[in-house]
Amino acid sequence: MKKKMLAITLTASMLMGLGVAAVPVYAEDDGEPYKAALLLNGTLGDKSFFDSANEGLTALQEELGEDVFTFKVEQMGATSADESNWEPTLYDYCDDGSYDVIICGTYQMLDALINASTDYPDQKFIYFDEAFDFSAGGENVYNVMYKENEVSYLVGAAAALMTIDEDLEKVDPSNSIIGFLGGMENSVIKDFLIGYVEGALAVNEDIQVAIAYVGDFYDSASGKDLALAQYQNGVDVGFNVAGSAGLGQIEAAGDADKYAFGVDSDQAALLPDYAEYIPTSALKNVGNSLIRAIKLDMEDELEYGVLEYLGLAEDGVDLVEDEHYEEIVPEDIREVVADLKQQIIDGDIVVDTTLGDNAISTEDFDAIIESVQLK
Amino acid sequence: MLESILTPSFFSSVLRAATPILYATLASGVASKAGITNMALEGIMLFSALFGVIFSSLTQSALIGLLLTILCGALLGMFLAFFVLNLKTDEILAAIAINLMATGGTVLILLAFSGDRGVSSSVQSVATPTVTIPIIKDIPFIGEVLSGQNVLTWLSLLAVVVMHLLLYKTPLGLNIRSVGENKNAAESVGINSRRVQYIALILSGALTSIGGFFLSGGYMNSFTKDMSSGRGFIALAAASMGGNTPIGGFLVSLLFGFAQALANIMQLKSFLSYEFVLMVPYLTTLIGLGIYYYSQKKKRERLSGK
Repeated sequence: MKKKMLAITLTASMLMGLGVAAVPVYAEDDGEPYKAALLLNGTLGDKSFFDSANEGLTALQEELGEDVFTFKVEQMGATSADESNWEPTLYDYCDDGSYDVIICGTYQMLDALINASTDYPDQKFIYFDEAFDFSAGGENVYNVMYKENEVSYLVGAAAALMTIDEDLEKVDPSNSIIGFLGGMENSVIKDFLIGYVEGALAVNEDIQVAIAYVGDFYDSASGKDLALAQYQNGVDVGFNVAGSAGLGQIEAAGDADKYAFGVDSDQAALLPDYAEYIPTSALKNVGNSLIRAIKLDMEDELEYGVLEYLGLAEDGVDLVEDEHYEEIVPEDIREVVADLKQQIIDGDIVVDTTLGDNAISTEDFDAIIESVQLK
Repeated sequence: MLESILTPSFFSSVLRAATPILYATLASGVASKAGITNMALEGIMLFSALFGVIFSSLTQSALIGLLLTILCGALLGMFLAFFVLNLKTDEILAAIAINLMATGGTVLILLAFSGDRGVSSSVQSVATPTVTIPIIKDIPFIGEVLSGQNVLTWLSLLAVVVMHLLLYKTPLGLNIRSVGENKNAAESVGINSRRVQYIALILSGALTSIGGFFLSGGYMNSFTKDMSSGRGFIALAAASMGGNTPIGGFLVSLLFGFAQALANIMQLKSFLSYEFVLMVPYLTTLIGLGIYYYSQKKKRERLSGK
């Protein structure tokens, strides 16, 4: 008897589970505020894009007021023990049904989101920093990625001009060699590199680029050694795109009394001890991209089911242009950079990319890199 | 290519790259001599890299930071010894546990201590000083290579000598070696093998921790997640290639440092594709191991008269 009861209960609960999943969820549109849920597969305090996402939504709430827009942040944690909770948490929020949009990002959430977006076709999602697989559906997903190549184009131009500037103390103007330290040679890093090289070539045809890869994103000591080798062989200005291994380049710049550009977050502000060696940083503005998407969505103008790349024109990427930048980088160089930025925004300059449908061929990429590589 | 190699800065980077490996190699050597494979070097090194930053920033003294870190390293060695010797855990499994604990544990401790994750950007270690010895400094080339090296690099050279004397010129060294050769025979003549192995593992932990401290307080001035990145495992191979002797380990560490510095120059000069270049240090170690074991085999065959 007991067994039977158990079987019935189990069956009933399973059926109910099915029922819940099948009930369409409509976002209420009855004067209630627009509600967003930000699901982070990590925690706040990463000083990079999770914080940026949270700051963006906070700014939007301050701008519009709580009666128009509210949001909730769910910090799901990043360890392998937390990982098993990501998908159930995403489903909980979908079940809730009161959120106009659920936001998540990074490649680690991709599989969970594909499942959830299929099971809840009426729930809207925003997905950032990784390409969504739209072959499996996903008409309810707005996907945003960032044009790293555009901002690194500006970094490349600034670096190429700084390395021949005669007034900068940390620079030997007799040669034009700049450095690049990547984590691994993958398509995102290549996108950074191609922008960097093309930006440098745009202002200085004789530029040579010393390119090195750490091989991972965490061996900071190796990163430092590689960068030191670059600095000892004529590099005056470098650019790190190597995660925490990139910190090695910044420390190397400190030891060698040279420059290194930062990436992803404002590294000059983050590392005050090394600020004088970091002219500025290339930023991914996750927060801005979310503000833009949500504002569009409030007017029902956000197109779902597509992948959108945001560049300088849409504030998706940017260079930190604060007092610190003005202090280190001479005015004439800043003017050239600002001019290039405007030309990219206006569409007069199109920077090659290694991502998406317009990616350049491997042969073209290799040819460009080959032409500037330090021999 | 060649003119970049024949520079003092190249050879000084060889020494720098060899230093953390050398400490761990000596550590692995002394444990192996006592008959235990210390595979936890990697984890102990990572823990020590973090503790180094925390202790030296707390005390604002590189020396006290180093001493506290060595203490922690010794405790971790004792921890391993407790599991292996008292609880009879498999030494490899216990080591894997320590290594896994280090990967997650360091991030957790860093987060609790500073609110940072991944990179200790809000705590900086007090850098260990560099040393320039007056007379050596004036020797051309070699002087340039050696002067300005970190004090821990100098200390590592000293450690080679000390470990050599300890293993081959003291009663403790004799005990360690005899326990490693044949535990039962050693016990039959009244050596307390457990005590000897405890001492060897504690020593091993302490030595590794200096290597870890060097990573975040000499090589770099901050801790980054997983920064030991396999150096502990390389040291295991290096020690075994050097016959677990301090002198042999020293030579192999230098070889590895050389390969590492060479790989850096090869990348700089875009010589070969980078995927291949990154393999160079490991390939060198592998080939070296192959040669070593082949020569050992030949020697054995010769001795047994085949």
